[in-house]
Amino acid sequence: MKNQNVLVIGSGVAGMEASLILADAGMKVHLVEKDSLIGGQTIKFEEVYPNMECATCMLAPKQQEVLQHENITLYLLSQVKKTEGSAGEFKVQIEKKARYVSLINCIGCGACYDPCPVSLDNEFEQGMSQKKAIAVACPGALPNVPAIDADNCLRLNGKKKGCNACEQACGFGAIDFTEKDETINLEVGAIIVATGFDQFDVSGLAQFGYGKHPNVYTAMEFERLYAQNGPTEGKLTLREERPIKSAGIIHCIGRKEKGYCSGVCCMYSMKFAHFIKDKAPEAEIHEFHTDLCIPGKSHQRFYEELSKKIDFIRYEDVEVKGNNGNLEIIYTHSNGKRDSIKSDMVILSPAMIPSKGTKDLAKVLGISQDSMGFFSTQDQNLSPIDSEKEGIFIIGCAEGPKDIPDSVSQAEAAAGRILSLLQ
Amino acid sequence: MNKKIGVYVCECGPNIPERIDIDKVIEELSSMGEVKTVKRYSLLCSNDGKKFLKEDIEKEELTHVVVAACSPKEHENTFMKVCEEAGMNPYLFQMVNIREQCAWMIPDKEEATSKAIKYIKAGVHRVLFHDPLKQKELEINVDVLVIGGGISGIEASLSLAGPNRKIHLVEKTDSLGGMAGKLSQILPHQGSKIKLVKEKIEQVENNENIHVYTSSDVKEVRGFLGNFEAVVKSNQENKEGIEEEIKVGAVVLATGFEMFDLKENPVYGYGEIENVVSALEFEEMIHSEKIELKNGKKPKSVALVHCAGRKEKGYCSKVCCLYTLKFAHYLKDNLPDVDVKELYMDLCLPHKQDQSYFDQAKEKGVEFIRMDEVEKIKKSGDKIEVEYRNNDKADKVSVDMVVIAPAMVPSQDTSHLAELLNLPLDKSGFFKELHEMLDPVATPMEGVYITGCALGPRNIPESMTQSHATSGKILSSLIPGRKVKPEVKVSEIKEDLCTGCQTCLSVCFYGAISYDPFKGVSVVNEAICRGCGSCVGSCPSGAIRSKHFTYYQLYQEVMEALR
Amino acid sequence: MEKKFKPNIVGFLCNWCSYAGADLAGSSKTDVDSSLSVIRVMCSSRVNSNLVLSALLWGSDGVLVAGCHPGDCHYEKGNYYARRRFALLKKIAEVLNLEPDRIQLSWISASEGKRYAEVVNKFAEDISKLGPNPLTSNPKV
Ligand SMILES: Cc1cc2nc3c(=O)[nH]c(=O)nc-3n(C[C@H](O)[C@H](O)[C@H](O)COP(=O)(O)OP(=O)(O)OC[C@H]3O[C@@H](n4cnc5c(N)ncnc54)[C@H](O)[C@@H]3O)c2cc1C
Ligand SMILES: Cc1cc2nc3c(=O)[nH]c(=O)nc-3n(C[C@H](O)[C@H](O)[C@H](O)COP(=O)(O)OP(=O)(O)OC[C@H]3O[C@@H](n4cnc5c(N)ncnc54)[C@H](O)[C@@H]3O)c2cc1C
Ligand code: SF4
Ligand code: SF4
Ligand code: SF4
Ligand code: FES
Repeated sequence: MKNQNVLVIGSGVAGMEASLILADAGMKVHLVEKDSLIGGQTIKFEEVYPNMECATCMLAPKQQEVLQHENITLYLLSQVKKTEGSAGEFKVQIEKKARYVSLINCIGCGACYDPCPVSLDNEFEQGMSQKKAIAVACPGALPNVPAIDADNCLRLNGKKKGCNACEQACGFGAIDFTEKDETINLEVGAIIVATGFDQFDVSGLAQFGYGKHPNVYTAMEFERLYAQNGPTEGKLTLREERPIKSAGIIHCIGRKEKGYCSGVCCMYSMKFAHFIKDKAPEAEIHEFHTDLCIPGKSHQRFYEELSKKIDFIRYEDVEVKGNNGNLEIIYTHSNGKRDSIKSDMVILSPAMIPSKGTKDLAKVLGISQDSMGFFSTQDQNLSPIDSEKEGIFIIGCAEGPKDIPDSVSQAEAAAGRILSLLQ
Repeated sequence: MNKKIGVYVCECGPNIPERIDIDKVIEELSSMGEVKTVKRYSLLCSNDGKKFLKEDIEKEELTHVVVAACSPKEHENTFMKVCEEAGMNPYLFQMVNIREQCAWMIPDKEEATSKAIKYIKAGVHRVLFHDPLKQKELEINVDVLVIGGGISGIEASLSLAGPNRKIHLVEKTDSLGGMAGKLSQILPHQGSKIKLVKEKIEQVENNENIHVYTSSDVKEVRGFLGNFEAVVKSNQENKEGIEEEIKVGAVVLATGFEMFDLKENPVYGYGEIENVVSALEFEEMIHSEKIELKNGKKPKSVALVHCAGRKEKGYCSKVCCLYTLKFAHYLKDNLPDVDVKELYMDLCLPHKQDQSYFDQAKEKGVEFIRMDEVEKIKKSGDKIEVEYRNNDKADKVSVDMVVIAPAMVPSQDTSHLAELLNLPLDKSGFFKELHEMLDPVATPMEGVYITGCALGPRNIPESMTQSHATSGKILSSLIPGRKVKPEVKVSEIKEDLCTGCQTCLSVCFYGAISYDPFKGVSVVNEAICRGCGSCVGSCPSGAIRSKHFTYYQLYQEVMEALR
Repeated sequence: MEKKFKPNIVGFLCNWCSYAGADLAGSSKTDVDSSLSVIRVMCSSRVNSNLVLSALLWGSDGVLVAGCHPGDCHYEKGNYYARRRFALLKKIAEVLNLEPDRIQLSWISASEGKRYAEVVNKFAEDISKLGPNPLTSNPKV
C-alpha cells in the first residue's frame, strides 16, 4: 500500500481519534461526516461514566485539533456515494451538500438566527427544542458555523423567494445562497468506517408508553435534558416544568427484540441515577434491570456506591401506565412477585442499533452486514476491526455497541494496522 | 534590543465595535511607552487580515506583538504563525481576549471599553516579559521494548516490527503465548482457532526484526519518548545473570494477568474437596480430552460457578461468563448425558455475538441459575453440594464436579514494574491508563504504553485490538528520520534557589523531575514536562519557573487588573 | 450620592476547563460582572500562594481560582494540589487580617458557561458586601 491517503467515514470519537493519529503520522486524511458538525453522539453528553468527566472539556480540544490539523480535510454534510478498486487504490466519490454558509467567513456570532422566520424541531436536541432554518445544532457546536436547512429555508425551497433575512443580518458576508452541492473524487489507500450507532426506536413498544405519556423519556432525550448546553440549559424538570421527585430508569429496552446486549446501557443508566441525585438529591430513584453488565474495572465500584442511595430492582417484565398525569411502573420482580411503584418520570434505556445509513453504505463499500445489521468483521480470525475486504476497517459502534474507551481503542488500532502495513 | 510593540485590535466585524469603543482603546494605548503602533482591522483572522498583519510587523519592524481579538482558544496559533512568518519569535506575542470575555459578556459599552483597555494594557506589560522560547527537536530511536510475551505482547511485536524498526520482546517464562497459549480452544464465535496462537508464535520466531528474550526480566528502564535505555537480565540456565543493555524509543507493557487465588476464600472448598477444580485446570482437562473425576469416571453432572472473587476484588472480570459458556458447550457436545448447571450472578455478555452463544447453550439444555452469592461448597456423600443464596432465599445444587471461574487479578510483577517506570496503578492494582476514556493505552510517561490484560480483564480480540492501538500510537510518533518536538512552555528549576527538598518530585504526575544528588538540587527533564505548573505551585522556595507563565508575566497581569 | 463600591477582583482560570467555560459564557451572550479580571493559566495548580497573596497585598478585593472539576484536570491531579493549597491560603489570609471569603476556589467545566456567570456574579456580590480590601487603606504592608 503506497497511497498515503486514508478515507475516514464518520466523525464521532472513533473517527476523530483515527484521523488524528494518522494525520500526526503524516498521512493525508479525508474525513467525511454526514452532519454539519463533528463529534458524533458523545458531544450530546454532559458527563461520561465512570468518572463523570465533563464530555465537552474532554472532547472540545480533540475537535479543535481535527478542525485545525493540516493533514485532515473535512467534508461536512457529506456522504460516500461510490467506491471501486481495492486496498491501496480505492477510488471514492463523495457527495457534499451545500451549507450555504462559508466556513471561512462565518465567525459564529449567531446574528443570523433570530431574524430567520422559520422554526423547526431541533433533531440534535431530540426535538425538545426549536431551531431556525439557519442554526448550529447546540451552543458550542464545532465548527461553530451554522448551516441552512435547504428543505425548510423559505428562499431555498421557493416558498418565499426574496427572503434574505439571514444574509442581511450577517456582518461578514458569510451567507452564500449560490453555493451548490458538490461531487468530489478521491483516491485513497485505505478506508475506515466509523459511522456509529442510533437508538432503537421505542415507540414501537406500546407497553412503555413512550409518545403517549410525555414524561417517559428515552436515554438520549435525558442526556440532552441534563446537558448545560441543552434545551433546558441543564435544568432537570418534567415536561410541565414540575421538579422531579421520583424517577424510574428501565434497562434493556429492545434487548429481547434485537437479540443482543448493548453492553453500555447498564452503566449509562446508572449514570442517569447519579445525574438526578446530583440535581434533585431528594428524588427517589429506581433502576429496573435484568443482568447487570458492568464489566469495566471501575464500574462495579460505581454501582456499589450508587446502590447505597438508590433502589435496584431485578425485573422479569415491566410496563409503564399513565395514571392521572402520574406514571406507574408495574413489574414482575425476579423473585416472581408482582408489584408497582408511582413515578414522576420514566427513562427508557434502549438498545444501540446500527446507524441509519449502514445498509446503503455497506452496498457502496461492497461489504456485508452481520445478522444484527452492524458491519461484519472477521471475528473468526480474531480481527474484530477488519472487514471482509482488505483495506477497509470498521471501528467504534459501527462494529457493534461499545463504550468510548473501546471505540477509541479500535480507532487507534485501525491507525496501527494501516501504519504497520505501510512500514 | 530596542523593544517595539505593535498592538492590533480586531473588530471581528460588528462584534467588537458594537460593545467596545475602539477609538478610545487606540487613544489610551498609543500613549504607552514602547508601543510603536496601535491599529484596528476589520477581520484579522481572514486571509487579508493575516497578510496585513505580516506586512505591518515587517514594515514597523516590531519585536513584540499584542493582538486583541477573540479567545486565544480560537486564534492564538493562527497569529503566532503569522508572527513567525514575519520573522519574529512567535513567543513574543500575546493574545488578548476582548470578544468572548469582554464584548460579549459586559453589556455596558463604557464598562466594556475600560475593561478591554485594562486587558490590552496587561497584555502589553506582559509581553515585555516574554522570553523568545525555542522549539527543540530531539533525535530519536524508533526501536521498541515489549515486556510480556502473551498474545498482547506478540501482537504488538508483530505489528510494530519492520525493516527500520527492531523489537525486543522480553518474556519472563521459558515460552511465548501467555494464557492464550494454555487455552484448550478459543470461543467458537471467535473462530475457535487455537492454532492461531501457535502460528503467531512462529511468525515472531521467524521475524528477523524481533529479538525474543525468554526467561528474562527487565531490570531497569530510564529515559523518555524516543530515548529509553533498558537492562534485560537473563534467567536462562546457561546465561543466568547475564545482563544486556538495550536502547529503544518506546516501551510496551503486556504483562497480562493472574488468577484470583481460590484458597483465599474457604467457601469454595478449593484444594480441600476432590473434583472442585479451577477454570484453568478444566482448560487442561479439555486439552487432554479427559473430563474425568478423580476416580476415573465421567461426571454425570457439573456445576459451573461464576464470579469467584468478584465481591472480594470489586470488579467483574468480563470474560468468565463467556469461557464458562464455552465449557458448557464443550460438556454438552462431548458428554451427551451430562447435566450442566451454570450458577451466575449477572450474565455479562457485552459483545454483539455473545448473546446468541448463550441462547445456543440454553437450547442444548444447559441450566442457568441466578444467585446472589455462593454460601458454601461442601462434600455430601459422593456428591458435591453448592449452597447459594438467591433473592435472600437459600438453595443448593448437588453435582459430581464443580468448575470455578476465578476473577482475573493483576500479574505479580505489576507493582514492581510500576515503580520501575514510575507509573500509577488503579484501585484494582492494574496499570492505570493515562486517560481512561480518550487515551486507553497510554500512560503518564510519554513513550510507555500498556496493552491487554495488564490494564484489566479483557478477552483475546480486545487484547489484540489494544496491541494494534499501541502500535498506532507508536508508529505515529516515532517515525524513522523524524525528530520529536517536546512541549516548549515547560518548567525549569533555578539551581541556586532549590533547597533539594524534593517536594516537586512527588507532585509531578509525569515523573519529569529527578533529583541530582551530586548538586543537591532537582532538575526538570524538558522532554517529559508538559508544563502544567503543578510543581511551580508546590515549591516552597519558589525555585521553579514555568516558562511563558512566569511569576513576573502573571504579576504584570495582576497589577494591571488592580490599577 | 456616594458612588457604589465596585470591587477589583482577580480571577485565575485554568486553560482547559474554566477558561473555556468563560468563553462559552461569552459566546452564549451571558452577562457577567465586570469586576473580575481574568488571567489565564494552564492549570489551577500553577497558581501558587505567591500569586494570590501578591494580588491581595496589592489591593485586590478578592481572588478567584477556577479549575476543572475534581477528576477532570487536564493534567490529572493539578486541581487536587490547588485544593490542598487553598486550605492553607485561607489560613494565611486570616493571619493577614483578611476575610478568608475574599479568596475562592471553584470548579467550572468547559460546558458550564452559565455557571461561570453565576459563580463570578455571586462572588462579585459577596465581595461588594465585604467592602474594600482592608489592606488597601494601609499600603505599607
Ligand atoms: C444514552 C447513551 C449514553 C452513553 N454514555 C456513555 C458514557 O457515559 N461513557 C461511555 O464511555 N460511553 C457512553 N455511551 C456510548 C458512546 O456513545 C459510544 O461509545 C460512542 O458514541 C461511539 O462513538 P462512535 O464514534 O463509534 O460513534 P458515534 O458517536 O455514533 O459517531 C458516528 C458519527 O458518524 C456519522 N455518520 C453516521 N453515518 C454516516 C455516514 N453514512 N456518512 C458519514 N457520516 C456518518 C454520525 O453523524 C456521527 O457523527 C453512551 C451511549 C448512549 C446511547
Ligand atoms: C480460563 C480462561 C479461559 C479463557 N478463554 C478465553 C477465550 O476462549 N477467548 C478469549 O478471547 N479469551 C479467553 N480468555 C482471556 C484470555 O486468556 C486473555 O484475554 C489473554 O490471555 C490476554 O493476553 P495477555 O497477553 O494480555 O496476557 P497473558 O496471557 O497473561 O500474558 C502475559 C505474559 O507476560 C508475561 N509476563 C508477566 N510478567 C512479566 C514480566 N515482569 N516480564 C516479562 N514477562 C512477563 C507472562 O509470563 C505472560 O507470558 C480466557 C481466560 C481464562 C482465565
Ligand atoms: S433565507 Fe430566510 S428562511 Fe432561509 S435561512 Fe435565511 S432567514 Fe431563514
Ligand atoms: S520543590 Fe523546589 S526546592 Fe524542593 S526540590 Fe523541588 S525545586 Fe527544589
Ligand atoms: S510543569 Fe508539570 S509536568 Fe512539568 S515538571 Fe512541573 S509538574 Fe511536572
Ligand atoms: S487543567 Fe484545569 S485544573 Fe488542571
